[in-house]
Amino acid sequence: MGRKGYTYLAVRILSLAVLLLVMNLLYKQLFYERDLQKYSPIINLVRDVPLDANIIYMGESSNNTARQDDRDKRKISDFIGDYYPGLDLYDLTKPAAHAEIFKVLLEHMPRESEVKTVIVTLTLRSFNAQWIHSTLETSLQKSLVLLRPYPPLVDRFLLSFKAYDIKTDVEREKEFMSQWVQDQLKFPYEFQFKDVKKWDHWMAYTGIRDSSGEIDQARTELACHYIKAYGFQIDTLTNPRIKDFNGIVDLARERGWNLVFNLMAENTEKAGQLVGDDLLYLMNQNRELLLDYYRSKGVVVVDNLSVVEDQQFIDQDWTTEHYGEKGRKIIAKNVARALRAWYGDEYVDVGY
Amino acid sequence: MLFNTIDFAIFLPVAVICYYLIPFKFRWILLLSASYYFYMSWKAEYIVLIILSTLVDYFSGIMMAKVPDRRSRLPWLILSLVTNLGLLFTFKYFNFATENLNLLFHRIGLSAGIPISHLLLPVGISFYTFQTLSYSIDVYFGKQEAEKHLGYFALYVSFFPQLVAGPIERYSRLAPQLREKHSLTSDNLANGLRLILYGLFIKMVIADNVSGIVDQVYANPEHFGSIDILKGVLLYSFQIYSDFYGYSTIAIGSALLMGVRIMDNFKTPYLAKNISEFWQRWHISLSTWFRDYLYFPLGGNRVSKQRWVFNIMIVFLVSGLWHGASWTFLIWGVLFGVLYILERVVNSAFNLQKVYSSWSAGHILLAIKTFILVTLLWVFFRSQGADQAIRIFRLMLSPGVAGSQSLVIPLSTWIFLLTFISSDLVLYNKRFDTWIGGMPYLFRWLVYGVLLFGIIIFAGVENFPFIYFQF
Repeated sequence: MGRKGYTYLAVRILSLAVLLLVMNLLYKQLFYERDLQKYSPIINLVRDVPLDANIIYMGESSNNTARQDDRDKRKISDFIGDYYPGLDLYDLTKPAAHAEIFKVLLEHMPRESEVKTVIVTLTLRSFNAQWIHSTLETSLQKSLVLLRPYPPLVDRFLLSFKAYDIKTDVEREKEFMSQWVQDQLKFPYEFQFKDVKKWDHWMAYTGIRDSSGEIDQARTELACHYIKAYGFQIDTLTNPRIKDFNGIVDLARERGWNLVFNLMAENTEKAGQLVGDDLLYLMNQNRELLLDYYRSKGVVVVDNLSVVEDQQFIDQDWTTEHYGEKGRKIIAKNVARALRAWYGDEYVDVGY
Repeated sequence: MLFNTIDFAIFLPVAVICYYLIPFKFRWILLLSASYYFYMSWKAEYIVLIILSTLVDYFSGIMMAKVPDRRSRLPWLILSLVTNLGLLFTFKYFNFATENLNLLFHRIGLSAGIPISHLLLPVGISFYTFQTLSYSIDVYFGKQEAEKHLGYFALYVSFFPQLVAGPIERYSRLAPQLREKHSLTSDNLANGLRLILYGLFIKMVIADNVSGIVDQVYANPEHFGSIDILKGVLLYSFQIYSDFYGYSTIAIGSALLMGVRIMDNFKTPYLAKNISEFWQRWHISLSTWFRDYLYFPLGGNRVSKQRWVFNIMIVFLVSGLWHGASWTFLIWGVLFGVLYILERVVNSAFNLQKVYSSWSAGHILLAIKTFILVTLLWVFFRSQGADQAIRIFRLMLSPGVAGSQSLVIPLSTWIFLLTFISSDLVLYNKRFDTWIGGMPYLFRWLVYGVLLFGIIIFAGVENFPFIYFQF
């Protein structure tokens, strides 16, 4: 290529660069906000946090789901706030959210915010294959594209060219079903099932018997749900949740935030009744792993895994982290106590 | 891997750069690997079908070349036909056949109970099987020498820009280009990029913005009034055109980046004066395939009138069936055949066959007439079943009936459509790359800017695959 060729190329590259710069400017001024509201309204959760808030609570549906007959239907975060009347505690609650969503939202916290402490919901169940490959994931991933840390035009380009994890429900189902087979369960004793699929099949075919010796279909199905929801062992190298929680730890370090992980209560009582000690072993093993792993990184991890009794779980026929008033208050109390490490002077025992 | 995804935006430049960087003798290996990777990114195991089709047709070709007369070649042609049409039948038509057989047996009081298949339709199977069939038929008739290099033949079958939705290329056109040593030229680069840009614009901005609106109407036509149904039907006409035209344009542009010129698949079909001309401008590679491998062998028009009518009906019926295994596609094909014949008869009876010059009042009126007819026929093409198509026609022809829902079409969608229609008028009998290439520098870059801005900012963000991928 001669000088003429290079000039030809240079003029065109320059033209393209100018075009892109102008387009970015136009997009940012005229269309970006419209697109944010249309495709990533989740950003409003961050925008709603007052700059002078002291503590923020990142939650999902566990925070704001209440029982019909609860006298006090307020959120867990509100109950925590009761212990610190002198502080502004604000919640960012997004149903079905997980660590990646929390991380992206936290990345968008304005630098001038006075937030000093961040409490992040740590749900054990969110580490399982079915949640990782949830059918909600495509729309959640899509809602995060415009929030990526690139110029607005680049983010919109990525959205237009579908640069996010698009999969059909069938494909996602295939993914978690194959993970149920691939992930081999390891016990320190002889256990007859090597993976979740075999365990689940055995439960489905053997069933739970009622007092008359008949198979109790409802309890059997629920037991299968429990096996699929908690029958896993977290691998810190491959589990995507670990990567995202680690990202939150790094971000907190960079921004100078006190970080609290609130390990949410699961219905261990029912897990024990329906499936037995083998499932409890896995749940406890995962709990210990998360506590040790994140405490070693300087995070305050509040262990609420087994603090809520069966009757306080709203959904008795499913595995959720939705608690009645008493359950929400127990969790709030434990978190509030953990916050005394930084706000001991502000703590008021409200007696929940 | 869809053309309008980030995966392809990375894959294509990497493939093109590697293509020019590696020594010429290895290029076919690169392109074949890239093509297989491209196909496998959708469903890896279905590459076996392409390989099977490739091997059977390659060896059939070799064997046909070894014998002098057609009679001896016939078994090998039959092998090729049975393999390719067998694949098509198994994956595309088996369920249609069994469902109708079961229904037929049920009607006469018997229970056949033929089980349906749960096999997923492989992307592009109708395209690559037709492409490779054309090779076998050409070798059989002695119009084409058999390819001796398996690699080049495999590449002809699977060349990624046109693998999954055409244009359906002939061996004599594509294979020599794949063997040729191409150098990167500024013309090919510029024209390829121009075509890709324009193709992406009409797919992502026109088709994908219209798609959601059309889906609403066809999902629940009863919820809409006649005007809204009419709008939905009209918009589908633009959706299918921009979707397939957009795909073909990107395919042609992508191939051009590697110096390969793929045939044009569309030439402003909605400006055709009659149905016959429409099919000379719409999905040209398929129309010419049917012309050369079905219509002519049946005798074409050098036969009695009755036989000609039969030939035409067969071609359109098969064309309908090629598009999909359902009665709606069959009806769509048959209706096109009937219209085609009627037009010929009426034109001949009233001496309407005089040629109107471009943009004369006659041309415009005839183009509008053709567009309306084609648009109405698309109702069968898009509907879930014949009953739905009839329901849509009935609702459309019931003026004054208000629906429980009103169809919201954003102003921006109208603007995009107008832009598309205008560009089609401008590009009558022209191709975008050559047209824009002849424009002054500033105007050219202004157009690039508008297209690029449109693609990035106004692209429909729902995941609408290319319509023709399902065929």
